[in-house]
Amino acid sequence: MSTKPYVNPQLAPTTRTPRPADKKMRLKESGGVAAWVMLAPSLIFLAVCSIYPFIWIFRYVLYNYDGIPAHTRFTGMRNITNMFADAKFWSSVGTTFEYALWKLVFIIPLALIMAVLLNQKLRGSSFFRGVFFMPTVISSSISGMIFMFIFATGNGILNGIFQKLGLIAQPIGWLTDTSVVMASVIIMSVWAGFGNYMLYFVTGMTSISEDVYEASRIDGANAVQTFFRVTLPMLAPVLKVVLMLAITGAFKDYEAIMVLTNGGPGTRTNVMFLYIYNLIFGTGSNATRQIGYGALLSLMAAVIVGAVTIVYNIVAKKLDDVV
Amino acid sequence: MAKNKAQIVYSPAQKAIRVLLWVLLVCISVIVIFPVLYIILGSFKENQELLVGGSNIFPARWVTQNYVDAWNQANFAVYTKNSLFLSVGVMLISLFVSSMAGYVFSRKTFPGKEIIYGIFTAFMFINVGSVSLRPLYELATNLKINTSLWPVILFSAGGGQATYIFLCRGYVNSVPRELDEAARIDGCSFFQTYYKVIIPMLKPVMATIAILSFRQGWNEYIMPRVFTMTNDSLRPLTVGVNMLKNAGDGAAAWNIMFAGATIAIIPILIVFICFSRYFMGGLTSGAVKG
Repeated sequence: MSTKPYVNPQLAPTTRTPRPADKKMRLKESGGVAAWVMLAPSLIFLAVCSIYPFIWIFRYVLYNYDGIPAHTRFTGMRNITNMFADAKFWSSVGTTFEYALWKLVFIIPLALIMAVLLNQKLRGSSFFRGVFFMPTVISSSISGMIFMFIFATGNGILNGIFQKLGLIAQPIGWLTDTSVVMASVIIMSVWAGFGNYMLYFVTGMTSISEDVYEASRIDGANAVQTFFRVTLPMLAPVLKVVLMLAITGAFKDYEAIMVLTNGGPGTRTNVMFLYIYNLIFGTGSNATRQIGYGALLSLMAAVIVGAVTIVYNIVAKKLDDVV
Repeated sequence: MAKNKAQIVYSPAQKAIRVLLWVLLVCISVIVIFPVLYIILGSFKENQELLVGGSNIFPARWVTQNYVDAWNQANFAVYTKNSLFLSVGVMLISLFVSSMAGYVFSRKTFPGKEIIYGIFTAFMFINVGSVSLRPLYELATNLKINTSLWPVILFSAGGGQATYIFLCRGYVNSVPRELDEAARIDGCSFFQTYYKVIIPMLKPVMATIAILSFRQGWNEYIMPRVFTMTNDSLRPLTVGVNMLKNAGDGAAAWNIMFAGATIAIIPILIVFICFSRYFMGGLTSGAVKG
């Protein structure tokens, strides 16, 4: 691992003068056709991979569709009334909020504290940074699987170690007990993700001038005061972006949960995107695909995530005015 | 830097605190490394030992049979080949597409540019989850290209391109326009300027994109899972190893799954250890700017 953090030149504070907008200064623009040809692959990708699926969803929202075109039936408002009566869906929405809340409560402070510790320039800081970031390069499906082994009730190593140390008498059903399974899922997702947010914080902190710290030292601030009075306020813009990424990220998580618990036991960890996945691909307990209905729920889920983002932005703005 | 270090003098109390903080970092590092270490060391255990459990991290008896079985019987040779094909494919296509688009977005003014750019940005935030895989799956089936991994490669590259385009555009913006103009005066066309002048300048950001898109392809799970539902010989490692879980009595195949999971994480860990600065650099520059 390298000793110096790679900093993209565009991040480095520069004082480049803005380019003259005057077109006459420049050579005559040419290569219009070439530009469109070079842009074409990305435009085709955008159309096929982003726009087309999005429109496709709207096409099926009011239909009953199970993957066989001949079975497609228009059902009017049935999907919508079903959605509001679908207790399973709304409980999965509740589960998503519960999961996102607990994940954020642990992952953000942990990432922030680790970033502050790394910023103390202790011996081996870049090694620690690499270690903390490492889980984020592993596929979420594989990390789900690793924790499935670790949390196994009978032969999992976590119960093995706890029993050896005498912390517990009976093995804990990490993935089978409804009262602890959410904790297991949170542990996994915090492990897998905190390095990401830590790195954002570290980058944000390196841009805080050393002079500010020196000034606070001269004024006699201790470490805690320095953190709350200097680091945190100066980190506020980064913190806002990171929180936003963390919130939307937490609402979208389902791959690792699918592997670790598959929503179980029962529906205890069935987050909304996992519920929708099972409807669309017919892999859940009900083997019939409900693609039209799933499409509607996807839109609802997107609206919920969008609403949370907007609420967060309003709150963040309000806080800005207060502080 | 050296001068700066010499100025900081720590009192004994501060030194003690720094040692304590260091110990804390070591403890957390151990916890973070533990799951990975456990799966790697566990892959050398005999299946019997894995099924009994216990608190030993190191194998009682080291065996490599798990890898032989995974490679030969459980089809992991094919899965590994597919994973490599998938991730290299996504990487090459992402590099090709995003560097060109980033260059055009940075250097050209044309009608509708802001709108197109806005659509790219909007679709980074619109997330409808797995439902978008359904139309893509049906599209691939109708085009009869679902007998290879190509649809997964194309759709994965297409889905992830926005981030890479933004990275490229930002980087091209930092390349002085005077270089383009010099090339233009020397008779380069718009495209020649791209591959003779801009591409060589883009090496750092291209390395970042190469690494990030390689990881994206290597770690892709839901999409190849959906696309290879009925075709075991196309599965990449992430899907193949997870399918073992559902196959018959899953508990019996713990050793194979340990070996499979290890095969799936070792290459990406090696890439990470060698190129960690590109991983971390790409992430932060994309986010703070983005």
